[in-house]
Amino acid sequence: MTNPEERLAMPKVAPIRSGQYAIIAGRIGLAVALLGAWKLGADTAGPLYVADPGMVLQRIISDTLSGSLVRHVYVTLRLSAMGFAVGCAFGVALPFLLRRMPRLTNAVEPYILASVGVPKYALVPLFILWFGIDDAPKLWLVGLLVFYPIFIAVFAGIRNVDRRLISMARVLGASEAAISREVIWNSLLPFFFAALKIALPRAVSAAIIGEFLVGNEGLGYMIEYSRQNLDTTGVFAGILVATALVLAINALLLRFDHRLNAWRPVDRHMEL
Amino acid sequence: MATPLHSSSPSVARQAPVAAWRRARSDQVLVMVLLLAIWQGLSLAFGTYWIGSPWGVTTRLVSGVANGDIPRHASYTLLEATAGFLIGALPAVALPFALRRLPILTAILDPFMMGGYGAPKLALAPLFILWFGIGIESKIALVAITVFFIVYFSAQAGVRALDARLVQMAQVMGANERDVARHIILPGAVAYIFTGFRIAMPYSIGGAVIAELISANRGLGYLIQLGAMNFDTTAVFVALTATTGIVFLGNWTLDVLERRLLRWRPRTNLDIEAGS
Amino acid sequence: MAGAPVLEVRGLSKRFADRAGREPASWVIKDLSFAVDEGEFLTIIGPSGSGKTTLLNVLAQIETASAGELFFQSRTTPVDDAKSLKPGLSCRIGYVTQEDNLLPWRTTLQNVLFPLLVQRRLDSETRARAQSLIRAVGLSGFENHYPHELSGGMRKRASLIRTLVYDPPVILMDEPFGALDAQTRAQLQEDLLRLWSLGRKTIVFVTHDIAEAIALGDRTLVLSRSPATLAGEHTNPIPRPRDIRGIMTHPQFAALYQRIRGEVQ
Repeated sequence: MTNPEERLAMPKVAPIRSGQYAIIAGRIGLAVALLGAWKLGADTAGPLYVADPGMVLQRIISDTLSGSLVRHVYVTLRLSAMGFAVGCAFGVALPFLLRRMPRLTNAVEPYILASVGVPKYALVPLFILWFGIDDAPKLWLVGLLVFYPIFIAVFAGIRNVDRRLISMARVLGASEAAISREVIWNSLLPFFFAALKIALPRAVSAAIIGEFLVGNEGLGYMIEYSRQNLDTTGVFAGILVATALVLAINALLLRFDHRLNAWRPVDRHMEL
Repeated sequence: MATPLHSSSPSVARQAPVAAWRRARSDQVLVMVLLLAIWQGLSLAFGTYWIGSPWGVTTRLVSGVANGDIPRHASYTLLEATAGFLIGALPAVALPFALRRLPILTAILDPFMMGGYGAPKLALAPLFILWFGIGIESKIALVAITVFFIVYFSAQAGVRALDARLVQMAQVMGANERDVARHIILPGAVAYIFTGFRIAMPYSIGGAVIAELISANRGLGYLIQLGAMNFDTTAVFVALTATTGIVFLGNWTLDVLERRLLRWRPRTNLDIEAGS
Repeated sequence: MAGAPVLEVRGLSKRFADRAGREPASWVIKDLSFAVDEGEFLTIIGPSGSGKTTLLNVLAQIETASAGELFFQSRTTPVDDAKSLKPGLSCRIGYVTQEDNLLPWRTTLQNVLFPLLVQRRLDSETRARAQSLIRAVGLSGFENHYPHELSGGMRKRASLIRTLVYDPPVILMDEPFGALDAQTRAQLQEDLLRLWSLGRKTIVFVTHDIAEAIALGDRTLVLSRSPATLAGEHTNPIPRPRDIRGIMTHPQFAALYQRIRGEVQ
C-alpha cells in the first residue's frame, strides 16, 4: 500500500540562478497585476460578489483587534491539533501493532484499502447525528483525514525496512522494542515525514470545512456565516486568513524537511 | 489486493504460497462476516435510529436504485465531478506544454502555482456558492480549481522528465519542434499525468460532495444531508454507499484508461502485486 | 577512393564550460584532424573517457565544438554556434548511439518507421524497406513488441536498422555493440558489414575494442587519452570479405593489433 499523494506532496521549486532578476521582477509584477485585477473586479462586479481589497484588509485588522478573528483562528487550530494528535497516534501505533500480527494484517488489509475510497467529508452529517453539534464530529473528521495518510505511510515504511538491519540488531541482542525504536523508526522517518506534509495542512483545512457544516466558532464558521449573511467581505477575509494559515504550515514543514532529511543519501520521495 | 506481509518467521516463509494465499482469503471472508455481524449487532443494540441495519440499508439501496432516485442523484454528483475534472485537468495539462520553451515564465509562475496548490481550495466552497448559487456551477467550479493544481504539477513533472537523449535522437532524424512535442514529450509525460489524474479523482468527487453538503438540492451529498436532517441513518448509509461506489467507478475507469494508454510500460513488481 | 572526402574535421577542439560558467574545464578534444572518404568504413579507437562520444556528438551536430572546422561534402559547417546547429545535418548524417534510445511507447516496427514519419517519407515503398530490414537483422515476428519486451541485443538491432531505414549517406556509430555478449556481437558485426557492403555507405565506428576495430574497418584511427588527439592512423591490409569470427587467425592481424595496442594508452 503506497500513498501516491506523497509523490506530489511538496512540489519543488527550481532554485533561482544568480542573474535571473527578470524572474523576481516578473513575480513581483504578477503579484501586483493580480492585486490590480482583484481591485478591478471589486469595482466592476460590486461588493456582493467581489469584496474590495482595502475593505477586506480593514476587516481583518478590525477583527484581529477586537479579538474575534483571533478567537476563530484559535478554535480552528485547537481543533486541528487535537484531531491531528489522535489521528497521528493511531496512524503510527496501528502499523507497529499490526507488524507483530501478520495474519491479522492480511485479513484486514483489503478492508482498510477499501475504506480509503469512502470520502471522509461525506461522513460529517453522520458524525453530527451520532456525536452532536460540538467539537466531536469535527474531531472525528480531522482524525480520520490525518489517520489515513499517516497509517499508509508508516505501514509502507515498516514494510520497506531493510531486513538485514533488523537481523543485525537482533544479533546484537536488541529487544523487540529497541528494534522498533532504533531501526524501524529511523527507516520509516522519511515516509512518515512525507505523509506529515500532507496530513498537517489537511488537519487545518479539514477543521475549517467541518466548521462549514457544524459549530458556531472557528474560521470555517466565520466564512460560512458570512456567506449566509451575504457578507462577502467577511467571506474574503476568512478565506484569506485560512489560506495564509495553511500556507504558513506548509512553509514551516518545508524548512523542517531540509533539516530532517540531511542525512539521507538518496531521495526517497517516491517518484515515478 | 492482498500482499502478504513478509514474516520473519521461517515456517511461514516455507509454506507453499498457494496455501498461504488461500488462508489469507478465508481470513478475509471471516473478517467480512465479522464486520457484518458487528454492524448488525450495533444496529440491534442502538436501534436503527442510530445505525441502519445491513439488511435495511441493502433493501433501501436496491429500491432506491430501482425507482431511479439513487441513479438520478448519483449522476448529478458524477456530472459535477466529471465536468469539473475536465475543466480543471485540460488546461492543467496544456499549460506545462505551452510553457516548455519559456522557462522564465514557468519560474515566475512557480511560487503562485505552489501557493495555489498548497492553499485549501475546498475552503472556497462558500465563496463559489455565493457566486454561482446552489446549482451545479458552484460545484463544478470548486472541483475544477482543486483538480487544476494537482494535475498541473504532475503534468509539469512529466514534461520536465523528458529524456534529452531521446529528443536529440529524434532531432538527428529530422524531427522539428512539433514532432518532438507530439512524439517524444507527450507520450513520456502521459504516465506522470496519469498519476495526477489518480490523485485528483477522489478530490473531484469529494469536492462535489462537500459543496453539496453545504448547499444543494440535488446530488448524493444532498441525500446524505437530507437523511441526516431527517434522522434517517439508513438513507445516509445508502447515499454513502453510492458515493463510495462512484469513487470505485472512477478508479476503475482510470485503471482501464491506463492499461490502454500505458501498454508500453514494463510492469514493475508493484503492478504485479497489485494484480493489475 | 578518388574525390574529396565526404567528412573532414580540421583542428577540432572542445572543452566543456565549468558548471558555474567560471573557469573552463580542461580540453576534451584538442586539435583533432582527420578525413573520411566516401564509402569508407572508418573505425576509431580510444580509451574510455577519451572524448569519443563527444567527437561523434560534434560530428552529428548535436553538440558544439570550441574551435576547428567541420566539412561535409566539401562544404563547411559552423561548429561553434549552438543556435546554428543542425542535428543530423538534415538527415544526411545518421547516428547510432551507445544506448539504443528506442522510444519506449512505440513498437519495434513503429520505432523503425519513426524517422520516416518525421521526415514525411512514409509510404508503401519505405514501409517495405523497413520490413526487409527487420527481416535482415532477424527481428521478424517482433514487429509489434514494445522495447521492454525485447532483449538488449534485439533493441540494439532495432536501433541500428532505425538509422539504416532512411539511408543517410554517412552513419556514425558509438560503440553500438559494446554491451552485448560475444555471440550477439559477432552476429551483428557480420550483419553490419553485409548491410554496409550492399549500400557502400560511409561509416564512422567508434569502439574501445581493438579486435572489433580491425575486424570491421578499412582504416583505424587511434585517439589519445584526454585531451583527445590523433595518436595514430592505420590502414587495414586485411582484404574483404572478412571472416569476423576468425579474424584473429589472419596472419596480418597480430602485427596490426600490436601497433594499435602500442598507441592506445
